[in-house]
Formats: sequence, structure tokens, C-alpha cells
Amino acid sequence: MSQTETEIHAPSTTQAPKTHELKPEPSQLGFMRPDHSKSVIMDWLTTVDHKKIGIMYGAIALFFLLVGGFEALIIRTQLAFPENDLISAQRYNQLFTMHGTTMIFLAIMPLNAAFFNFLVPLQIGARDVAFPRINSFSLWAFVAGAIVINFGWVLQALQVMGLFEASGPTAGMTDLAPAMGWFGYAPLTGTNFTGAGTDFWIMGLQILGIASLSAAMNFVVTIVNMRAPGMKMMRMPVFTWMTLVVSLLIVFAFPAITIALGQLMFDRCFGTNFFVVAGGGQPILWQHLFWIFGHPEVYILVLPAMGIISEILPVFSKKPLFGYSIVVFSGAVIGFLGFAVWSHHMFTTGLGKVATAAFSLLTMAIAVPTGVKIFNWIGTLWGGRVRFSAPMIFSLGFVWMFMMGGFSGIMHSSAPADAQQQDSYFVIAHFHYVAIGGIFLAVVAGIYFWLPKMIGKMWKGNLSTWVAIFSTVGLNVTFFPMHFLGLLGMPRRTHTYLEGFGWETYNLVCTIGAYILAFGILLLVVDIIRCFRNGEPAGNDPWDARTLEWATTSPPQVYNFAKTPIIPARDALWEDKYGPENRKITHEDDHGHGIHMPSQSWMPFIAALGFIPVGLGMSLMQAGVPYMGYVAIFGLLVLGLGIALWAIEGPGGYHMHPEVDAA
Amino acid sequence: MTVLFLGGCNLDTRMTTFVTKGPVAETQYDLFMLTVWVTLGIFIAVGGAFAFAIIKFRERPDDERPMPSQGHGNPLVEIGLIGASILLLVIIAVPTLQGIWYTHDTPEDPESFMGAWYSGEELAEEEADNPLIVKVIGYQWWWAFEYPQLGITTANEMVIPAGKVVHIELRSFDVIHSFWLPRIAGKVDLIPGRTNSMWIQAGDNFLRWKEKQGVAGPEEESPALRADYAAYLEEEIHNYYYGQCAEYCGDSHARMHFRATVVDNKEFAEWVIDERTGHGTPDGKTWDDWYAAYADNPDSLTGDLNEGLKLFMGRAKCATCHVVKGNPRALGVAGPNLTNVGSRMSIAAGWLNHRIEEDGSIDLEKQYDNFYKWIKETDVVKPGNRMWKAGGGGIGELIDENGELALLTEDEIHKLSLYLQSLK
Repeated sequence: MSQTETEIHAPSTTQAPKTHELKPEPSQLGFMRPDHSKSVIMDWLTTVDHKKIGIMYGAIALFFLLVGGFEALIIRTQLAFPENDLISAQRYNQLFTMHGTTMIFLAIMPLNAAFFNFLVPLQIGARDVAFPRINSFSLWAFVAGAIVINFGWVLQALQVMGLFEASGPTAGMTDLAPAMGWFGYAPLTGTNFTGAGTDFWIMGLQILGIASLSAAMNFVVTIVNMRAPGMKMMRMPVFTWMTLVVSLLIVFAFPAITIALGQLMFDRCFGTNFFVVAGGGQPILWQHLFWIFGHPEVYILVLPAMGIISEILPVFSKKPLFGYSIVVFSGAVIGFLGFAVWSHHMFTTGLGKVATAAFSLLTMAIAVPTGVKIFNWIGTLWGGRVRFSAPMIFSLGFVWMFMMGGFSGIMHSSAPADAQQQDSYFVIAHFHYVAIGGIFLAVVAGIYFWLPKMIGKMWKGNLSTWVAIFSTVGLNVTFFPMHFLGLLGMPRRTHTYLEGFGWETYNLVCTIGAYILAFGILLLVVDIIRCFRNGEPAGNDPWDARTLEWATTSPPQVYNFAKTPIIPARDALWEDKYGPENRKITHEDDHGHGIHMPSQSWMPFIAALGFIPVGLGMSLMQAGVPYMGYVAIFGLLVLGLGIALWAIEGPGGYHMHPEVDAA
Repeated sequence: MTVLFLGGCNLDTRMTTFVTKGPVAETQYDLFMLTVWVTLGIFIAVGGAFAFAIIKFRERPDDERPMPSQGHGNPLVEIGLIGASILLLVIIAVPTLQGIWYTHDTPEDPESFMGAWYSGEELAEEEADNPLIVKVIGYQWWWAFEYPQLGITTANEMVIPAGKVVHIELRSFDVIHSFWLPRIAGKVDLIPGRTNSMWIQAGDNFLRWKEKQGVAGPEEESPALRADYAAYLEEEIHNYYYGQCAEYCGDSHARMHFRATVVDNKEFAEWVIDERTGHGTPDGKTWDDWYAAYADNPDSLTGDLNEGLKLFMGRAKCATCHVVKGNPRALGVAGPNLTNVGSRMSIAAGWLNHRIEEDGSIDLEKQYDNFYKWIKETDVVKPGNRMWKAGGGGIGELIDENGELALLTEDEIHKLSLYLQSLK
């Protein structure tokens, strides 16, 4: 039995010295654990610290945000003029497919995950998430999925250069990056219509789903079990609440897409007939499975944004959130109703009168809890003292733009009206107002709000104002005309259009707007870099904030809180600063045994790495590359081995004894 | 911003949903406008409160005001606002339900029954009490329009009578498509493995038109009124309408257009006869004689049109996939029916157009160019399509006796184009 375990089982008897030289210890496998490494790369690859994992999620997501944005710019450039031939139809179809897939699964979801990871343990006064190694696994599985799903581009580049030609089940198909839309409607995803790109998409999405599921379960357990004493459910910050709701949504929604993707993979690789009409399959089944995942997914994307806004508005209004319990409850109702409206994506598929009517009414119903949130945000401002700091500017922009996106959502809910809007540019306008005007602005607000906490440096100058101006103006110039484009009959997902339909001017304006928006995002990147390089020390609480994460240092120490805080009230830090004496934060005595820290581990990284050969192997097998089936099996072995060694190596862990006064 | 757009831009365009030409699209548009007005009202109220709060409660320099009250909300305000939201939604919900029911089932309108208006020949007796049925079948990337009651099939350009209910049945041959004729009706999908249906009607029927004119009573009927109604159809409804596939269906989704020509009853009946009759041989021979000559001594068939027809039947293999009504050996059904293709205003599923917008006639030069372009570079006009490459049978895969690739020559394309132009 290792020394570490002895320490765990008998902590109170071990009187450790105040300053403690920490050294790596061997795991139960006999290898040295990668703790306290001098190598930065090794430290980050094996880290189980939720803060480092959060920062990695954020950095990778921002990278993919730029990739997805670049794809969007090519799309808009192609559409600037009628019958433009900048790119081919196939390339365009691949770009819009990957733009959607990238933005949803590789940019917004991981950006949200970045905030979940960094903030939730801090907001609930926990030392880390419940399962730190699973957290690491989620991150690296996400990276593996991102690599698999984008690998098609590499193959496509080889094909363009004449170095690769698909054979085998997809012989003759030239679409090696996904080209069937992010929604992958059957039967277009069949091997007789699309090539290996679809396989990369299936495998990549499946891996990303595993990453999301494992992360979501981790957060559910963390939030339910790891709250500091006194942090009752109804004292939790709204962002943590929304994380809980979103995690539950992921747990319930992702299995649907997991199954659908599994069926599709079997159709393509092993000749089953789930979606093959000739074999008695039902393409419409895919739509139901996809959207019963896909609509909750919309709320998986947007609820964290609402959580961010619900944190920022109170801070910069110097008031508690108006109607806290109703905001929390409405978030839960949105999550719940999110499972009952999927068929509003299918109003034109011939559902029948009764189903159409039911989904129409339920969709209208979901406007109520959404409206409630907006009312409560305005109620928060009301009577407050509104400070226009950068996070607040973006948050106010969020409320405004999200409201606009919500209105066009109400327009869709009327099924007969939707028959004209469905699959037209009107829909694109709607969800980009929600996605960019809503989610993106909220995420930027969150970055401006929490980056000082994450890196301990404060923003310099007021470039943020220009970011706000360019991104908001760009967003409106790009997407407002799209309402009209859609109502004037321009269908979505068309790589070009004829002259004479009255779409020319609108399209040109949209394209100009896209470049303005892109410039705004570029300024954001510049501002973030400036903050990293030149930021002044931020201090613990630069915004005079309300919640617990601001009670610790910036950046927080690896152990978060030197002593476990005892939470007397909602808005704990605010009450500690301004509230009555009985609402001050107190701390638990650690009785001298310090803080138990989890050990770092290679195993989650190795296990997740196994996904890459699985995903690439299966897809390349479909493209006719020899021996790729064996590569996929090898990947499964790596995955299994990683998990097995992970189980055997033991949890490890060590104790830290921070100087309480220094924290 | 809205005003700017509405004021500055023409909303009466080819595929507009603003200027509707039929009761289905009109219902959909009315519902849309209802949602616009309701949300505009909410926008003014909520947006106004939001803007007011931001301005009124902004922090001022040297703010001396005490710390804002740390209240957590007001249940009465919450309940009131929730109630108001629900009320506003009911305003939308009730007409929505009515709209769903109205647009869903094909109405039983006696004036639209075939027996009431179709003056053409050969209508089965049991069809007299049915509306006109059009079966729409979607293919990558074109449309087949079948008229089962009339025994005709056409492609990419449908013809329907004005003011009559038309029942549409939607099916797909390969992947999901969506039938969207915005000025007449919103879209319904064509899904493989199932049959969807919808109804469309170009222009109002007599009753609805009378109501809109404010003519009292459903029993009101007079020849003058009928004449006014006919004039309304003639002036406002008889037209050439633009439609397009609205569900992503692969490479050339953007190029899967279609058209609907709306005509009066008489023109419709003439069109049906035209479609049924089809085409004879270029030089007036009977088809039997022509084929006998084609078999024995093809060189005796001279002239550009005969040359074109020989290519059509022979080297270019057009007849393998295309029907030309009249021609007993052009029976292929894998591609669009080419009967009267020379009368259509567009080819390649609406992508190559030769309609002169001013008078609705055909620009013959443009038509020739379009046929030429389509045959010469099918894969450029419509990437991925099966006329160019179809497992050895496409015109992009033609081979000579030695098995070498031998695409159609410019002269051959010229003759084929002329022949196709003559099919009218």
C-alpha cells in the first residue's frame, strides 16, 4: 500500500509540516505519476485541474470559432454575387456542413464547457470536479473528435492534388469532407449519395458525444454532491444552475443522437437498413431521432449563455438578480419543454394536423419561460446602478439581440407561416440572431467578465467598445437582410442563385456585414492577446462582484480555496462585503491535514487518444484504404487499455498545506 | 431599419411570400403578419422598458445615491407578465390552429371538381367529382409532374388551371426534396418511402373572390360578376410562377428549380391535348416508316432535325432515359419527359432560362444556346447529375467502337439542340 493511500485513510493522524516539498509518487502500476512536473507540456497533457482543463477547452474552442468563421466568410463571399463561381457546389456544401458542425460542436459547446469547467467548482466552493480524471478524458476525447471530424479536409486536399481516390464502399464519391449538412438527413447520408466525408462526420460526432456525455455526468455529480457547506441549491449562482440543467439535457438528449449515429454507421459500414428505403427503412426516423437530440441541443447551447448574463447583469447593476427562483425555474422549464418541441423542425414533413398543432402550441409555450428571463433581466436593471463596463455592454447587447432572435422564433411557431419560412434564409436569420446575437455576445461578455479571474490580469484600454460596435453592427448588417431574403424565397444551402429574383442586393449587403463581423472578432482576439501580454494584476475582485469565485485569488490557486468556505446566503461574496454580520463567509477548520489534491494521470489522455484510430480507421475503411479496419480495432484496444490502466493505477492524490493567510 | 427595408425594396419578386397569389399562401402570409404585429408590439413594450431602464438607472459620475435596494423580485409583477405573455400567445395560437386545419386538407370545392371545369376529352367518369391531381416526384435534381387523371407526364414546368383546387401528391425517387412555390403555397417535403400531400390553388375561387369584393351573399351570381371574376384571373393570376427545391438534396440542390404556368380552363385543356398527342417525325413520315428507313438506310434521313433525331435515338442514347410522346421508341423514364420540351421556358430544371419576361414568349436564340450548353457541359451546369455520368450510360461517358472516350462533337450537339428545340 502506497504512502499516499495511508495518508488518505489516516489523515488526521498525519501531522504534516506547514511547508511541504511535493514530489511525484509511484502509482499502483509502479510508474511515477506525472504530478509536479517541471515540463509544461507534460503538465498540461496530464492535468486534472478543472481550471487548466477549462482554459484548454476555451483556447481550442476559440481556435475553432475562427475556423468556423473563416468557413462562413468563404460561404458569404461565394454568395456575394449571383452565379458566382468562386467555389464549386461540392466545396460550398462541405463548407456549410462544416461551418454548422464546427460552430455547434467545436466552438460553442466547448466554449460553454470552458466556463463550466473553470467556474462551477469555484462557484460552489469545491476543490475540483467530482471526477477529475474523467474531466481530463472529456477534454481529450473532444480533441480526438475534432481531429476526426476535420480529417476529411486533409483527405479532400489529397484528392484535389490527385494523390487520393476513394475506392471500396464509396468508390467514385469525391466528397471526402462532410457534405450532407450538419443535420445529416437520411437518405442523403447513404453510401450511394455521399462519400467518406459522411463517415468522418459520423465517427467524429460520436466521439464528441462521448466527450459531452462524460463531462455532463461529471458536472451533475459535482453540482449535486460537491457544494460547500451552506451552498444550498437555491443559493447556487444561476450560472451553476444552468450548468446543471444543461448537463441533464446532455445526459438525456445525446443518447438519441448516439443511437441514430450508430444506426447510420451500421447502415453505411455493415449493410443494415435503418434508413434505407429499398430495405424497408424509414428516412423520417432519422429526423425524429436527430431533432429529439437537436432541439434540446439548442438549449444546451443557449442556457449557459443565459446563465452568464444572469451573473453579469446583477454585478453591474449592484442588485441581486430579480426573481432568482423564477429565473432558475424558467431555465429548468425551458430545458424540460426543449424535449417536447423537436417536431417544429419538421413542420413541412407531413406530420398531420394534430401533431403539427401540438408542436405548434408547445413551441409557443416555450416563449413564456424565455420571455420570463428577459423580464427578470430588465427587472434586475430596474432601480439599480448600471455600470457600462465591457461585460455589461455585451450583456445588454445580448438581451437586445436575443430578443430579436426570439421574435422570429415566435414567427416560426405558427406552423402555416413556417411553411414559407422553413429552409429559407429567414431561418438562418433567426438562429444567427440567437447564436451570434445571443450565445456569442454572452460568451464574449463572459470572457470579458471572467478572464481577469482566469489569468489574474485586467483588461487594458477600451478596445472592447470597438469589439462591441463591430460585432453588433456586423451581425445586424449580415443577418437582418436575411429575414427579407428568406421571405423573398431564397432557400438555404444553395451554393449559388440566379439573377432576377430580387436577391442580389440583400446578398451583397449580407456579405459586407459578414466582413464587419469578422473584423469585430479579430479585434476580440487582439484584445485577448493584449490582456495576456500587458494586463495589470487584476486582484481578487476587480468588478465588485457577488459570487464565490471572486472570493479567491486571481488566478485561483490549484486548490481553489485554502479553507472550505461556509456559505451563509445567496450572492455569498456580496453579503460578505456589504451584508450584515451574520452573513459573512466563514471557513471550515481543516484540522491540520491540509487539502487533498487528486493526482495527475496519463491514462485519460491515452484512452482518449484511442478514439483517433477508431474514428479515422472506420472512415478510411469506408474510403477504401486497406487495413483500416485493423487500425480501428487497434484504437479500441488503446481505448480499452487506457481505461483499464486508469482503473488499476489507483486514484493517488496528495496533500497541500497552503499558508492560510496568503490565500 | 425595418421601415428602411420595406420602403426601399421591391417585395413583389419572383418567389416572394409577401405578394401572394392563392388562398394557401395568403393564409400563411396573414398568419405571418399577425406574428409580426404581435411581436412588434412586444418589442416596443419590452424594448422600450429595457432602453428606459438602461438610461434611467445608469451610473452617473459622483453618484451620491444610496446603494440600490437588494430586493429579490416581486411575485405579482412576475405573474402579471407571465399572464400577459400567455394572452399574447393565444392571439397567435387560435388563428394558427385555424390555419393548420385550413391549409392541411384539400377542400371539397364543387367548382374545382374536374367535371365542373375540364372541357377536354377522355375524363373517366369517377374523376368528375375529384379535383385535379398532380403527382410530384422529386429526383436529384429535377421534377416529374404526373397528371394521373389525364394520363400525361411532364417535367420541371407544370401547368395548372387558375382558381381551381389542385391536389398535389409528393413522392421522392432518391433523397428528400421540398416542393416550394412561394407565391401560391408554402413548402411540403418529398420524402422517400412515403407520400405526402398538399393542396394549392392559384388565385381565389369565385366565392372567396366575391367575399373580398364585398358582394353580399353566397347566392349572388350574375354574368357580369362572372366576367369580372374571369378578368381578375386573367389579369392577376394567369402567369408564370417560380418554384424551387427547399430541402438540401446534394451537389446541385441550388439548381433544382421548377415552374408553374397558370392558365385558364380552355388553355389547360389545349395543353393536355398537346401533351397527349406528342410529336411526329421531322419530315412528316409515320414513325414506322421513319424507323424502317433508320434501320435500312439511315443516310436517307437527311436534314438537321433528322440528324438530331438519329443522334437522339442512336449515338447519344437520349431515348434510353427520356420519353418523347408520339415516338414509340423513346420510352426511358429515368430522366425528364421531353414531350414539348421546346415549348418550355426553361431547361435543366429551371436553371437555364429563355423566357422573355416582357411578353412571356421564348427567346429562340437563347433557347438554342441553353440546349447547346446543357448537352455540351451537363456536369458544369449541374454537377454530379446522372445525365453526364451514370455508370457508363451518361453522355459524358460515350465511347467509340474501340472503347475510347468519344464525347459528342460540336456538330452533333448543334443538331441535337435543333431537334430538341423543334419539340413543341
